[in-house]
Amino acid sequence: MTGQEYMKSEISYREVNEDVVRTMTTTGPAYYIALISSMLVFAGFWLLPWAYQIYEGQGVTGLQTPAFWGIYLANFVFWIGISHSGTLLSAILFITQTPWRRSIYRSAEAMTFFSVLTAAIFVFVHMGRPWNFYWTMPYPNQRQLWLNFQSPLMFDVLAISAYMTSSVIFLYIGSIPDLAAVRDRVTGWRKEVYTVLALGWRGTDTEWHWLNKAYTFFAVFIIPLAVSVHSIVSWDFALSKVPGLNKTIFAPYFVVGAIYSGTAGIVTLMIILRKALNIEKYITLNHFSQLGKLLVVMSLLWSYINVLEVFTGWYANTSFENEALTYRMFTPPYSYMFWIMILCNSFMPLLLIFKKARTSIFIALIVSLAINVGMWLERYLIIATSLPRKFLPYMWHDYSPSWIEISTTIGSFGFFTMLFLLFVKLWPSVSIYEVKEDIGIPMKKGHH
Amino acid sequence: MEKGILGLFTYVDTLLEAAEKLKGSGYSITIFSPVPLGHEIDHALGERKNYIKYLAFIGAVVGFMLGIVLTLGTAAMYVLPRGGRAIFPATPTLLLSYETAILLGVFFTLTGFLVFAKLPSFKEKFYDPEVAIDSFGLLVDGVREDKFGDIEKVMREYGANEVKRIEKK
Repeated sequence: MTGQEYMKSEISYREVNEDVVRTMTTTGPAYYIALISSMLVFAGFWLLPWAYQIYEGQGVTGLQTPAFWGIYLANFVFWIGISHSGTLLSAILFITQTPWRRSIYRSAEAMTFFSVLTAAIFVFVHMGRPWNFYWTMPYPNQRQLWLNFQSPLMFDVLAISAYMTSSVIFLYIGSIPDLAAVRDRVTGWRKEVYTVLALGWRGTDTEWHWLNKAYTFFAVFIIPLAVSVHSIVSWDFALSKVPGLNKTIFAPYFVVGAIYSGTAGIVTLMIILRKALNIEKYITLNHFSQLGKLLVVMSLLWSYINVLEVFTGWYANTSFENEALTYRMFTPPYSYMFWIMILCNSFMPLLLIFKKARTSIFIALIVSLAINVGMWLERYLIIATSLPRKFLPYMWHDYSPSWIEISTTIGSFGFFTMLFLLFVKLWPSVSIYEVKEDIGIPMKKGHH
Repeated sequence: MEKGILGLFTYVDTLLEAAEKLKGSGYSITIFSPVPLGHEIDHALGERKNYIKYLAFIGAVVGFMLGIVLTLGTAAMYVLPRGGRAIFPATPTLLLSYETAILLGVFFTLTGFLVFAKLPSFKEKFYDPEVAIDSFGLLVDGVREDKFGDIEKVMREYGANEVKRIEKK
């Protein structure tokens, strides 16, 4: 941009620094109320019931023969799905140099980390004896017992650990220049913390050069990793022989579903974030319009795969497949859930075809929440309608979650909210330097 | 105490012109900016090498081999016969090696970034917080102080708003 344009642009570089530091240092009572409430929900709905479950044993859940997988694993898949859009979307939009990525990606990446963490904890809750979690790690031991890496559950451990580690690195490295900018403007304990976190960054041409190169490679690595992680999560189910789970379409189905629910999660989060932190000038209606278009595309893809799943099952016309489909689609209460899912995921997002709907915060909020309700139901239906209807009718047993399982599900939202609220106060939630890039690089004589 | 001279500019093109001029005169320069100027700097001062791509590749190869050793090695050390299935199956081995290839690729890239960018570094260095806000800095250091006058003149001639003599901190 030319010198004149730079001076005329609505937001100045200095303002960006001030606004982002303000979001971290100025805290009103509403924030503390939200933080304490989320902590209470986390402790009351998750920690205490979990402690009770550990004390009493897995018998307090609704898990019993043949449904040994229930709502915990539905939650695990749901939160892994939410995590997918953050880092994956950020990496794809970075590689394709999409400008509207810049003010939203930092929070989206944080969302990835926190939701992977929430998902991972559900594995521990599901395990029953969480103190033995280290049995999933390959370590030398006296009896020479080694892990069975041919189990899809072991694929999961490795893939999710790799994804969480890479996502944290991606988030942290991309934040270093902003942590340095914050370091220069705060005092007291914050100064000391950000001095360490910024690693001595000064913004030299050499530092920027290597940051840019490394960041590009992180993005290149993250994209196939994210796709593989959700494929692997789908194989936890698809590599079994259970009707309703053993589907070749599951890997792309889960990847599409993950991007879909993750994008809807970003929309919900951005709506709350821009209002709460008063940063409407950075997260604009254009962002919602672009994300809305993405949601429409993902909705169509998701619907297509759903039709395929039902159609191929029905066309096979085996009694097992027919039973699985009938149980899911036409037997209450699952039929209610199924058709609500279709309404939320296939029909409501079609509203976003219209620009007026995409740029209406109210509609965007309703649709994004509806999508995640639908996506949670999808995961629940996959698990709750397959294992209880395995091949032989004498083994059939309907699964119904106990109050502990329902409570931990509610508590997980408190846990995620708590982590995110801490994040917005401790980390620059909008990328300072990339928003500046969006404003434009000041040139006296215009761009070469 | 070692001293340097820092010019603060509002515009990138004028800073790069000054940088070209001073570099052409044999001075060692450092450019500070609040935003990445990769393309602009490459255009003005020439393209720089990218060694990270080699590290990323080596990391991915090492990771892939690690994955193979991990999956096949553990299968060999604790043999689990499963109804006639292969003890050393290809599919899970390749799958896990794919994950470890990416993980090690990320680690090697991270190491490359930290080594080449010389981070973390908490030693005393030339720095002005304005360059993290809205100023673009041009630093010349490692020269005798009697040259500072000439350098300042060049910086001002090309439009520096402010020229400071700074010390490491």
